Amino acid sequence: MRLILYTGKGGVGKTTTAAATGAWAAERGVRTLVISADAAHSLGDVLDEPLGPEPRRLAERFDALEIDARHVIESHWGRVRAYLVELLRYQGIDEVVADELALLPGADELATLVCVEDWASSGDYDLILVDCAPTGSTLRLVTLPEVAHSGLRWLLRLQRAAAMIIEPIARGLVAAPLPSAEVFAEADRLFYKTLHRLRARLLSAETSVRIVVTPEMMVIEEARRSLTDLCLFQLASDAVIMNRMLPEEALREEFFREWGETQVERLREVEEAFHPMACLTAPLQPDEVRGVKALAAFGKVLFGDLDPAAHLGRALRMRFERDEQGARIRLPLPGLDPETLEVSRVEDELVVGVAGRRRKIALPVGFAKLEVERVVYREGELIVSFCGPTANPASVPGASL
Amino acid sequence: MRVLLYTGKGGVGKTTLALASALGAARHGHRVCVLSSDPAHSLADALGQPVGPHLRRVAENVYAREIRAQVELDGAWQSIQAWLRELLRDEADSLVAEELLAFPGIEELVALRAVHEVEQMGDFDVCIVDCAPTGSTMRMLRFPDALRIFMQHFFEFERKGARFLRPLVRGFDAGRLIPREEFFDAFEQLYEEIDDVRQILLDSDRTSARLVVNPTRVIVDETRRSFAYLSLYGIATDAVLVNRVMPESVGQGYFSRWLELEREELQAIKESFPVPIRRVSLRPREVIGVKALEALALDLFGDEDPAARFSTGRPIRFRRVGGRTRIEIDLPGIAKEEIEVLLKGADLHLRVRDGRRSISLPETLVGRSIEKIRLRSSVLEILFRDA
Repeated sequence: MRLILYTGKGGVGKTTTAAATGAWAAERGVRTLVISADAAHSLGDVLDEPLGPEPRRLAERFDALEIDARHVIESHWGRVRAYLVELLRYQGIDEVVADELALLPGADELATLVCVEDWASSGDYDLILVDCAPTGSTLRLVTLPEVAHSGLRWLLRLQRAAAMIIEPIARGLVAAPLPSAEVFAEADRLFYKTLHRLRARLLSAETSVRIVVTPEMMVIEEARRSLTDLCLFQLASDAVIMNRMLPEEALREEFFREWGETQVERLREVEEAFHPMACLTAPLQPDEVRGVKALAAFGKVLFGDLDPAAHLGRALRMRFERDEQGARIRLPLPGLDPETLEVSRVEDELVVGVAGRRRKIALPVGFAKLEVERVVYREGELIVSFCGPTANPASVPGASL
Repeated sequence: MRVLLYTGKGGVGKTTLALASALGAARHGHRVCVLSSDPAHSLADALGQPVGPHLRRVAENVYAREIRAQVELDGAWQSIQAWLRELLRDEADSLVAEELLAFPGIEELVALRAVHEVEQMGDFDVCIVDCAPTGSTMRMLRFPDALRIFMQHFFEFERKGARFLRPLVRGFDAGRLIPREEFFDAFEQLYEEIDDVRQILLDSDRTSARLVVNPTRVIVDETRRSFAYLSLYGIATDAVLVNRVMPESVGQGYFSRWLELEREELQAIKESFPVPIRRVSLRPREVIGVKALEALALDLFGDEDPAARFSTGRPIRFRRVGGRTRIEIDLPGIAKEEIEVLLKGADLHLRVRDGRRSISLPETLVGRSIEKIRLRSSVLEILFRDA
């Protein structure tokens, strides 16, 4: 099962590109599902068919759906939600309002994760394409399981403590409803099983991210920043798609002369900045690309002879190295301002921060006893060198640039 | 201080037009502050100069700031973080506490707080917020309401409960699960700040939303719904700004079909929105830097002050027509089946697609029943029976 996430700044044509990939892959014989994860859905508009939270067959082997957070949460999170509603109602909050409040922050991301995992493990599809919400929220898909996991550990502690001390007191005094064991069981199922399975899937070799851009500076700059973040969280990106390149016929218009000159420049920048990922280009179409047929045709233009489901290019990945010179971690973080980089060591984890976003990297067993010797950022790569615990007594845990 | 919220579908040019408006307003003598609440900031890219998490001068009388949740949390919410850290003491580390606080929705909260800060500073006549794409902006606008409900019903109860339980569990491991007074104080202060912002946002004399669109179908369709959500949440939109209109000089060659589609959409825009429309053409090159942005502002607003109030309409109107009281709400792009109205005591619950809001009825309407609900030329009318 191949999973591909389409991301990029708003308005670059993520939805069209994802739908075109799906329509073309299905035509080539792959069982494909396209999932829209952007709360402001436009997949149905692009496909010219009304879509719901269940897959809808649009052509042979080609299905699509739009995630409805409410629908997903209801089916996986119903007990927890019911408890929250009960608790809120007990506080005198009207049911309608309680209903609204119980949609936790992060509900959209949570719903996406659960929905993708459900269909990915269903065995019904060979290829699943996710049309993500604009840049930023893609990352949350990866970080959420970790955060949720910590949140749950906390909840479980609360339950233990509640059962021992607070509950008997609280039951008598405040008479507020307390969560039952089923509530915790459900939270456990959701967070431990579903989310962790999906997290593993997202980080596995079968998953790729594709970044969609247009030949505009603001769009490309944002894409570069998101590539840095994707690398930091080890999501593998296999291709960048440069959409809306003005074709020759369009450049005959005098007005677009300068746009034509800059797009050549922008394409060169993109190829360089995103190397060794593949760089595909798609020309601006003379008409709206709408409906399965038009999308499949556009997909054919985009991919040519390439298999749209293949790994199109090489992803930048973190590497652990060990040789006679010592041990080191190489983490590709292209296009980064070294000023915003912070690296520190907390026990057997390395904490890497980039422009306020922080990630913990668990050190392999062989590294755990070593000390951080040197941190350098060179040619788009963060290199953290380690030395033996006695080799360099002066080194302290925690080093920064 | 005037607050202008720039929002719209992703990629339509919100940041560009927000900055152009700021520079244009400065030319009319205003001191302007631009806040970016989109976590994927692009103020710096559009200006061609750095903008950071702290207020920074970017042109004469124009200051800009990118709101970064993490920076704000590090600075302002020490006691809330401290409590979380305490809770997670032996199972995790401060990084997790940080991440727990950085839940989705936090950017919106922090953005609202920043508007309050700018108001408190008193140094600015105009505060322009370059919002995140429509979805999260709606979440931001709904936030104060949700928080108000939470505080009114829940917060005092929690605080009292904590006060009561604290001495009982002292010495037990569970003791640290109960937040300390400082936590509640910090939370309460935060709430008061957010509530101030709520009042600013709901005051149509002070706050206007500006919807940025491009003349393409999918964008116009979504923007109509955004207009409706803004109305529902009580925020007045005073203008729709159409960006990237194909210039007249482009001929009938490769772009003929696009020109045709665009004409249809421009017409639809004119018919859909009950507010003034301003438009500006696609430029022959990327709009980057102060000069290019200033030129864009001139094309967009002409001699008008971009900070002016372009429409005095209110999103939710209580009116008396023929001796009867009615409530009117502008809801373009919404079908009858997507609206639910429920009268419960002194509150009117409205549901429009997936947006919901409760409106407190004025005393004169409490106890009256609804006679009729209808949707006429995109205006929802709720007619009340006489007493």
